[in-house]
Amino acid sequence: MKRTTLLLFMFLSVTCFSQDADAILNRVVDKINSVKDYSVDASIKADIPLIKILPVKATIYFKQKDKFKVVSKGIAILPKQGFTDVNSFLMKKNSYMAVDGGLKTVNDVKANLITVIPTNENSEFVLAKLWIDTKNDLILKSQITTRSSGTVTVDYSYGGEAEFGLPNQLVFDIDVKKFKLPKSVAADLNKTEKEKEKAKRNKDQKGTITIKLSNYKINKGITDAFFKEKN
Amino acid sequence: MLLKNTYNEFIKILAKPRSYLGIGALTLLIGIILFAMKADGSSFISFVTSSFEQTLSFNGNILNGNLIAFIILQMLIVHIPLLVALVTGDLISGEAAMGTVRMLATKPISRTNIVLSKFIAGAVYTFVLTIWLGFLALIVAKWIFGTGDLIVLNSDGLVILKSDDILWRYGLSFLVAYLALLTISTLSICLSAFAENSIGPIVSTMAIIILFTIIGSLDVSVFDNIKPYLFTTHMASWRSFFEDPVPWGRIQESIVILLIHNVVLVSAAIYKFNKKDITS
Repeated sequence: MKRTTLLLFMFLSVTCFSQDADAILNRVVDKINSVKDYSVDASIKADIPLIKILPVKATIYFKQKDKFKVVSKGIAILPKQGFTDVNSFLMKKNSYMAVDGGLKTVNDVKANLITVIPTNENSEFVLAKLWIDTKNDLILKSQITTRSSGTVTVDYSYGGEAEFGLPNQLVFDIDVKKFKLPKSVAADLNKTEKEKEKAKRNKDQKGTITIKLSNYKINKGITDAFFKEKN
Repeated sequence: MLLKNTYNEFIKILAKPRSYLGIGALTLLIGIILFAMKADGSSFISFVTSSFEQTLSFNGNILNGNLIAFIILQMLIVHIPLLVALVTGDLISGEAAMGTVRMLATKPISRTNIVLSKFIAGAVYTFVLTIWLGFLALIVAKWIFGTGDLIVLNSDGLVILKSDDILWRYGLSFLVAYLALLTISTLSICLSAFAENSIGPIVSTMAIIILFTIIGSLDVSVFDNIKPYLFTTHMASWRSFFEDPVPWGRIQESIVILLIHNVVLVSAAIYKFNKKDITS
């Protein structure tokens, strides 16, 4: 009898937490859905071991559900995961279950930790943890684990476009352990062994990509053909 | 008299069909590379960026004229010495083989100046070849592929250079590449002073380049003391201009070592030619 009561209590508490988590996520998704398309000016600063690049200015275009384009004069490096794919994934409400992990603090703001688990075992997403400011229905931080890219952590900051759930700064933490240089191309005959060793030591570090976003143009209408055009 | 003889030497180079072989071969090789890059350049790029692309995406015009010029320089700087040695390798020994060296020695010009005029003519030919390489690699490639930021892979990782920060790097790197090719020209002319036939100095020059390159690329500590003094080690120093920050000290060292090679080889050739008993 005791065991049955305990199991019932556990089931009810998980269900209640899950409902809370779903409600929180629904509010966030509704906010995301209010943006059909946008373009934004971006200043991309990549601080990644093994890659030396100066800050780059670019314009980012997005259209629901998953159309995404970056236009820049030079070469711009962006993280493969965590930019728009989280939003796209959250919109497929039947493809995941959400669990509330309780209250946490992110940059002095109280946030609910929601763990999102995909229901399809073959999904590219393995797990997503979202720290959500329930007062404003904004994602403050996310930690996404995917099969191909490992884990990427993103910190969000908001400005004037917070009402649409659009951030004005994103800071990505990138794991660079997977990076390997092809030996045949990287061969520098006139480099000393000490210099090569120094380069190898740098491989175990983490990298960050900071994207500052400004001048949002929301719901102005972007054609599908634009995303097919070559830069 | 030195200038007049240099002019004559250059006319002799122009009169040889093999002088055009080098320029023709260079044009053909670069044409093939440009065609290959236009047809399937993206797979070449993905080979370089593949380990990063699981986590990062590279946006923008990566396959541009600046990158193509870099690829061409990297691919051909190993093969161009053969084209240089093909012409400069018989500048002295060719005269001996044809029997014209005795007539040359009867002219009112010192033997030292005869050798110097051949070195200068060889240097001019090497310069023409380098300029042609630069024109095809940079100007034609930019015309076909457009301009853009340059993505360079070295042992420190990827360096991405802004398009407006590249031209001066190419200018200086072509100068250093020219100095490296001049060393090949000087080496082959020096060997030519010791030989009586045309093929010997050309083959010997290539053999020396291959030997030194293998020694330089072997990661064995026993060669560590020799490597910094081999001219082949410094033939790739044009690449250093595409690092950030530019290792000026290392480039300076390379320039000094290449210049020392040139001075020593010219001196050896002058000494040998002055002592030579010209009987043919």
